[in-house]
Amino acid sequence: MTDGTGSAARGRDTARPLSLAVAARGVFDLALQGMVWSRRSLLMAILLGLPAAVSILYRVVPKAWVPSRLGGPDLYALIAVFYYVRNFLPLAALFYATALIADEVEGRTLPYLLTRPIPRSAILLGKFAAYLTTTLTLTLPATVVTFFLLLTARGFAGLGASVPDLFRDMGVMVLALLAYGALFTLLGVLLRRPVIPGLLFLFAWELIANLPGYLPRFTITVWLRSLMTHHPAEEGLAGLFAQTLPAGMCLGVLAALIAGFLGLSLWIFSTREYVLEQ
Amino acid sequence: MSVAPLEFVRASRWYGPVIALNDVTVEIPPGVTGLLGPNGAGKSTFLKLAAGQLSPSQGEVRLLGVPAWGSPAVFHRVGFCPEVDAFWEGLTGLEFLMILLRLTGFDERECRERAEKALQEVALLDAKDRKIGGYSKGMRQRVKLAQSIAHEPELLFLDEPVSGMDPVNRRRVIDLVKRMGREGRTVVVSSHILHEVEAMTRRVLLIHNGRILAEGDVREIRDLMDEHPHTVALRARDPRSLAEAVVRLPHVLSLSFGPEGEWVTVQTAKPDEFYGAVSGAAIEAGVSEMYSPDEDLESVFKYLVAR
Repeated sequence: MTDGTGSAARGRDTARPLSLAVAARGVFDLALQGMVWSRRSLLMAILLGLPAAVSILYRVVPKAWVPSRLGGPDLYALIAVFYYVRNFLPLAALFYATALIADEVEGRTLPYLLTRPIPRSAILLGKFAAYLTTTLTLTLPATVVTFFLLLTARGFAGLGASVPDLFRDMGVMVLALLAYGALFTLLGVLLRRPVIPGLLFLFAWELIANLPGYLPRFTITVWLRSLMTHHPAEEGLAGLFAQTLPAGMCLGVLAALIAGFLGLSLWIFSTREYVLEQ
Repeated sequence: MSVAPLEFVRASRWYGPVIALNDVTVEIPPGVTGLLGPNGAGKSTFLKLAAGQLSPSQGEVRLLGVPAWGSPAVFHRVGFCPEVDAFWEGLTGLEFLMILLRLTGFDERECRERAEKALQEVALLDAKDRKIGGYSKGMRQRVKLAQSIAHEPELLFLDEPVSGMDPVNRRRVIDLVKRMGREGRTVVVSSHILHEVEAMTRRVLLIHNGRILAEGDVREIRDLMDEHPHTVALRARDPRSLAEAVVRLPHVLSLSFGPEGEWVTVQTAKPDEFYGAVSGAAIEAGVSEMYSPDEDLESVFKYLVAR
């Protein structure tokens, strides 16, 4: 602290903010540390790891106790489609992504980040990357364990042919976390209390995916569901009208949604003021 | 023509219908400037505008010649110590500083060197590996200050930096601020306590109800202040021995104990002499916090506004 005013410039280009990549990496490290050891992650680890525990149970309980129509592959399909892609990955996205900036606002730590020579977009991108890393770390290993435990319940025959499905499922899970994460990031930077609108979106609006016609295309779930190879039997409207859209179209729409939601979030966060309560 | 490090040009800022800062035009030169005003006067808004945290509703705020809002590159050269007591509680003091230094563009080795140097400056090096969540209030204040100075900024904005500190560390921070001013940095430090500002600088901006009331030498304010009794609250491990020592000091008008028994509240007619004389007794009695409620300053402002 003794070498005068010029020292701050030593060895750095102080005429420009840090590059987006360097800044986002720094924020990523900070955010990841906060996420890994949070109560939110403990809860999510339990919820997202539950299928692995169920699979172990399925393997250890006597076969007579298990309904005969519920084979290992059927149970895996139910878990992949309904448990993960339809319900708990969107829920994980809701609880993490809406909090990316809200946690800093509520914790009043945002000024530490906003007074660094970094583009504001790097803050959001770094935090989004940390969210994705955390949720994927909690989801993918549990999915792999679940897959192998359930598909080998009655022997290893046909396992090799099913492995590509596992990779496809994991790809859809990544897309689900990206798409819902981007949407809920947008809600998080846009609204003061984004959780209730997010829950309404997930458990009210997304139900229109079960209707006939073009309306389901205004949901996220219809594009994700169409990409999955498993189509477990459904009852009611879903059983009657469930649509399967072309994979190429699904990928294109999901990519556009992710880019659109994230781009809008970045723009809003970069231009918005955050007035923190004293 | 040289550019003022910090410049407000007819800057106003309102939150909905509430005007927090009203048509402020001022240039802050290098050195230490005290921003003095009662709570709610607009000091924090002034500093947030200066630190690019808020955009002016009207007018301009310029840092080193560029708009403070929306110019992230300028933060290579700016340090900001916010008033709020908020941290990522799970980080250690060292991690906290190193992360913020990385985000200021330093490599890993330099981050560590600078972080340790800044922690040394605020006497926290021994506690560098403890989590901030376990720090005392004074330690939290100091680590917050450390993050603002670690990258050796040319401009430094400190919002109530010695609030809640014990007398020894208060002195240390005051000396640090004075030294930074002598080094040619521009330091703006806010406080609602006149003697704190006076200990750091003679140049003050008086702010009240969002307006700059006066700009100039602190001694003029001191003359007004001396007409009012000054209240000081001290939290001590041994309040009785503190009271015994304090009551013998000159110019102490009254003394009372707080409801929880740890606090001693003193009224003095000569704050300067009181602060000078109380240090020894404060250390012996284990004083951990010392502050002055702002009613006294408020009354001076009322007096100034009424003139």
